[in-house]
Amino acid sequence: MTFKSHISAVALAAASLAGLAGAAQAWSLEEAAKPYAGTVVDVVFLDRPGYNAIREMLPEFEAATGITINITTMPYENALGEQVRDFVAGGDLDLALIDLVWIGNFAENGWIVPIEEFTSNPDLVDPELDLEDFFPLVLNAFGAWNGVVYGLPIDNYSGLLFYNRCMLEEAGFDRPPETWEELKDVYGPALTGDGRYAFALQSKRNETQSADSFARMLWPFGGSFLNAEFRSNLNSPESQAGLQFRQELMAYMPPGIVAYDHAETVNALAQGDVAMITEWSAFYTTLVSPETSKVADCIEVAPEPMGPAGRKPALGGFSLAVATQADEAERAAGWLFIQWATSKANAETYLRKGGVPARQSVYQIPGIAEEFKFVPALVESWQEGVPEFRPRFAEWPTISEIVQEWGTKMMLGEVSIEDGAREIGTRMEAVLEDAGYYSGEKPLVQ
Amino acid sequence: MAAPVRRPHLWAEGLLLLLIGLFCVFPFYWMVTTSLKTQVVALESPPVWWFTPTLANYWEVLFVDRVGPALINSIIVAVCTTALAVGLGTPAAYALARFEFRGKRDLWFWFITNRFVSPVVLAFPVFLIAREVGLRDTHLALILMYLTFTLPIVIWICTDQFRSIPYELDEAAMLEGASQWRIFRSICLPLAMPGVAVSSILSFIFSWNELLFAYILAPKAAKTAPAMAVTFMEGYDVPYGKIMATATLIVVPVLIFALLASKHLVRGLTMGAVK
Amino acid sequence: MTARVRRRTILAFLGPAVTALAAVGILPLGYAVWKSLHDFNLTRIARQKFVGLDNYVAVLGDPVFWAAVGRTAMLFVIAVPIQIALGLMIALVLHRPGLGFWKTLTRLSLVLPMATTYAVVGLLAQVMLNQKYGVVNQMLGWIGIDPINFIGDPTNAFIAVVLWDIWQWTPFVALVLLAGLSTVPPEIEEAARLETKSGWTILRHVQLPFLVPSLVAVLILRTADTLKLFDMPFTMTRGGPGSATEFIAVLIERVGNRQFDIGMAAAQSIIMLAITIVLARLYIRLFYREVR
Repeated sequence: MTFKSHISAVALAAASLAGLAGAAQAWSLEEAAKPYAGTVVDVVFLDRPGYNAIREMLPEFEAATGITINITTMPYENALGEQVRDFVAGGDLDLALIDLVWIGNFAENGWIVPIEEFTSNPDLVDPELDLEDFFPLVLNAFGAWNGVVYGLPIDNYSGLLFYNRCMLEEAGFDRPPETWEELKDVYGPALTGDGRYAFALQSKRNETQSADSFARMLWPFGGSFLNAEFRSNLNSPESQAGLQFRQELMAYMPPGIVAYDHAETVNALAQGDVAMITEWSAFYTTLVSPETSKVADCIEVAPEPMGPAGRKPALGGFSLAVATQADEAERAAGWLFIQWATSKANAETYLRKGGVPARQSVYQIPGIAEEFKFVPALVESWQEGVPEFRPRFAEWPTISEIVQEWGTKMMLGEVSIEDGAREIGTRMEAVLEDAGYYSGEKPLVQ
Repeated sequence: MAAPVRRPHLWAEGLLLLLIGLFCVFPFYWMVTTSLKTQVVALESPPVWWFTPTLANYWEVLFVDRVGPALINSIIVAVCTTALAVGLGTPAAYALARFEFRGKRDLWFWFITNRFVSPVVLAFPVFLIAREVGLRDTHLALILMYLTFTLPIVIWICTDQFRSIPYELDEAAMLEGASQWRIFRSICLPLAMPGVAVSSILSFIFSWNELLFAYILAPKAAKTAPAMAVTFMEGYDVPYGKIMATATLIVVPVLIFALLASKHLVRGLTMGAVK
Repeated sequence: MTARVRRRTILAFLGPAVTALAAVGILPLGYAVWKSLHDFNLTRIARQKFVGLDNYVAVLGDPVFWAAVGRTAMLFVIAVPIQIALGLMIALVLHRPGLGFWKTLTRLSLVLPMATTYAVVGLLAQVMLNQKYGVVNQMLGWIGIDPINFIGDPTNAFIAVVLWDIWQWTPFVALVLLAGLSTVPPEIEEAARLETKSGWTILRHVQLPFLVPSLVAVLILRTADTLKLFDMPFTMTRGGPGSATEFIAVLIERVGNRQFDIGMAAAQSIIMLAITIVLARLYIRLFYREVR
């Protein structure tokens, strides 16, 4: 921590104390939680840095409120299934952890409660809630569906380019690539060889394939999943160009890239086997800490490269919402927890413990951008991201499965780019047809 | 035996035995040693064979990652389903061995067929039923579903066992006016104890090892150890040491049981097809 | 020796077990059949509707389903002959007289793989077969073979599953065949040994007839277990990369658990069950003849 940021931290603490004192008569967490002391709130967490940060901060919340947060940790792979089965069965989850692509699904099934129920209740709403302080893109994409806000962004990612400065310098580059073309044509050949590779793109057949690999190459080249009429746009020249690019880029990736999930990819960079990766902001901590990274000192962060259609970085992240199946006390207690965990006041602590808050104010604190190297790239990415990077409607999980299957086949060369895209398109349209988008039964919202 | 065994032959044979043994045991050796490695050591490339062992992984999985409670759930479920299978299965086995009635062959065939049914066929409907009747995430749901494979095993092995008991004992007792239930309880069951013991051990092993039902029916409170082991496979970080520590904790009890019942394990797995 | 007893007695002895097994085995099956006639998705429960045999038509015409069936059959066709060949060799070695203590020890070690939790077997594979950190690749390196990407390459991943299946089940086959060998009356075997020195002749003409029941048992059980195979590929590759190791049970789990399409999953499992029952009836009729 720099001297400057010390000062600012103290100043901030003082400011927030003053704020607290000012609002004390009107609202305090302790007061608001009084009726709900002893309530147990059940929630699903993942085993990722942001959640571990919340877990570390939790004792403070529990002491202040008397509310117990009962966390079940599970892999991302299982989180959707477990939650869907819990909600279908009327289980005991009180909060929903929502990946941005699940929100349409959860909202349409009526499993989650709009925050209006709480924000309209002066007993429960923190005057400092300040929804405008969230990055609008992030709040809209992660927490809102069809104009209604259900959840507040808790674990927030943007795709970033992490690179090994030392390897780049060795090869004669003094800056990271600015465009995807440059990455492939200039950096690719120069950095690949002797068992080392220029780039790794996590492409395992799960959400990683559809989100991190397939969609990532679609958008910067001007492609997209659907056109305005909700028909497949995957065979458009732009989409094809993106997918073709991905195929060519594989020449500079380690073999077996279709088995790489986040762990393998991050590790490949951390071990110095790979020079560049495009990964979620959340991996910053892993990559720069010497315990988990051999090249901690060499790691730098930049925004994702640009394509012909501009910089359309991968967007992903989770919001927390109150579940409909919770009883009244659990709903209120759950809301207080969500509000506290995503609050402006806690954003800096959360950041310092390894989380990535979606509060604009925290990134304006002097010194933060210097201390956390990923901040400028992150803030820039969140200005121009695409909310429908992956469509967020209820049908996405089904469509994602299709993309995962055929996207992997493409990479493996089992099917041509064109045929694979057509196959996905046909199957995707069948799902959308079934759901009633083409008969006008459902509005064309993604 | 007929021909005297020649020395060099014996050497080759011993070497072969050693290879077979190593082939079977080596993965377990690797599992245990990996569980004693820190994450940094576990990710050494090439893998290291000599290192300072640590028990940190065990401590962490047992007390932080809730593998401890999962093991307890596994024990509860395996013991209860075994007891239930024995309670229900031994009388049925006795009836199959001793009574004559129509449809016996079909009934027996049906019991045996359950050995062939994949849990994936039953898992989803059972999930929906459990949801209706409020049995989701309870030990009871798993205990009942595990009957689909424990009951056939108990019935098979015990039918065999009852048949090996001389029928004269029954006849003598019948002459004295004993009821069938009394004959079963006081004469045949005690004599069939070896079979009951073997089938109990096998039921325990199979219940302990089960993954699919547990994974779908018991997400939290009743989560068993194998289902817990699966939850470590988060794509963000693969903690080899912790995974192998959990694996060791799961596998050691069944291996002990398997060695105890080693003579009968094959019989159980083949549903008595091989004596 | 059996007795005729009153109906009530039979009911009292058999009733509880039959009722219990019907409740957990047949009832859910009926429910599955019923659901398989519906468009029933957990994420669209409100919109479920009766669709008759649509799901079955879809499954039977789905190349993905048949690919999974083919893959499962392929695993059986590749792994089982190897298991039988290796198993027979091991059984013959163990059957030879001499080295009693060491043979008991080997027999005990043979018991371990088949009792191991199948899910753990898959996790072990992940750790041992890893291209970089895996001990198997290290060992291959000692004999001059470059590291193999077992989990990342579709063909290799399939081979890895085959290898791991062989590891877990060869000992089982060996022990079953060993039990079969011990049914050969010693005097016949000794008489044969006096006549010929060729182990092959003895195997072919003396031992093999006695091994037939064991071989049939192996075929039955390996068929059933291959059809059921889920835990090991699920924990090892989750069916990947691509769909290289997506066996039939893995596919059904994915459809039901990740696409939430319970109706479709039910139709798939009913078809799989039909395959299973046909095979099981065939085998059991052939083999288990003793009970009347």
